[in-house]
Amino acid sequence: MRSPQFDNNELEQLLVRCADKDQAALETLYQRVCPQLFAVVLHILRRRDLAEDTLQEVFIRIWQQAGQYDQLRGRPLAWMISIARYRAIDLLRSQRRTVSLVEDELPEEFVAADEDSDSIEESSRTQRALRDCLRILSVPQQRSLALAYQAGLSHEAVAASMQQPLGTVKSWIRRGLQSLRRCLES
Amino acid sequence: MNYARGDMIEMLAAEYVVGTLRGPARRRFERLCTVSAAATAARGRWEDRLSALALQLTPVEPRAEVWRNIRASLAADPRARIGERPRMTRWLPLAVAAVLLGIAVWLGPRLLPQIEPTVMVTVLGADPAHAQWRVERSADAHRLRLVTIAALAANPDKTYELWALPRDGTPPVSLGLLPRQGDTARALSERQAAALLAAGKLAVSIEPPGGSPTGAPTGPVVMVGVI
Repeated sequence: MRSPQFDNNELEQLLVRCADKDQAALETLYQRVCPQLFAVVLHILRRRDLAEDTLQEVFIRIWQQAGQYDQLRGRPLAWMISIARYRAIDLLRSQRRTVSLVEDELPEEFVAADEDSDSIEESSRTQRALRDCLRILSVPQQRSLALAYQAGLSHEAVAASMQQPLGTVKSWIRRGLQSLRRCLES
Repeated sequence: MNYARGDMIEMLAAEYVVGTLRGPARRRFERLCTVSAAATAARGRWEDRLSALALQLTPVEPRAEVWRNIRASLAADPRARIGERPRMTRWLPLAVAAVLLGIAVWLGPRLLPQIEPTVMVTVLGADPAHAQWRVERSADAHRLRLVTIAALAANPDKTYELWALPRDGTPPVSLGLLPRQGDTARALSERQAAALLAAGKLAVSIEPPGGSPTGAPTGPVVMVGVI
């Protein structure tokens, strides 16, 4: 588990330059965040070719929408991760009409956030805060949340993957999020 | 469970960001965000908080081709400023393209005599900077020509289907599947030709292999071109 350092001030400057249609800024931005965004879409789509097509679209969107980036919507990295995740989730849903993905092909990356935590170099206070708050969740709550967020699985797919009733999984996720919120806002 | 409205928005935003809010509820929340600052702010908060889960994933390098493709799409964006490159590298590809285009225009009718003089219908792309197909028709609209501007990666799981959207709001009429690469021409039925002539827009949807099973778009509409 290795998380690179991201400098949100630098990323924000790069987005401002992208909004001004400076192509060199997009290239630098690409070098900074591309491997992380690729990991995000790859975990959801689970096919390299699709994930690469999607990554391409994501950077075109970042380029086009850089002018709409707004600090109110969170930090620049979180904003870009969201563009990547929503695109991948939408695509996954449209793919599922025809292709049923095999749930046992899940990557092995799903880790509770507190594992191995002492060796992680934290890139932000948010990450540290989330990690600390994830600790107060039960293990099933952590795992169901990670499956839904990292792999883009629906409630039904999380339930199938964890071999648990749908209602149980829905309540794990909902209660997990409520606990996280209380913890993060306290 | 009864939430106060603020709590409800907060939890909807959380499930939206996690991705478990699906279907019509997901679209409703998106619409809510366009009118409610509270919803937008809640979504931003959760995107920020949960991005830490995305940062747990080990970074993966894509192939170098991905950046090359992105740069090629940007090159089509007339507003793009291309840093400190010498002017030559800016203009050379254009000059080469112009010469090739000249040759193609001269050769085209000689190599492809079956394709009649055509009327430009529209250019389809995710946006003006990202042209994907050019659509042309014969004067009587009984023949359609589809020219791929940027080749698509081979992906047997999805096909792109072209639809004529009539101005009067009647249901879309399929004009067939779009090619992944190259240039195709095909005959249109009376119904298709009439729909094309009556259309204000063309749309592209993603469909299962072989095209829409229902005769109406089933997948997401990814591009719309105004005629």
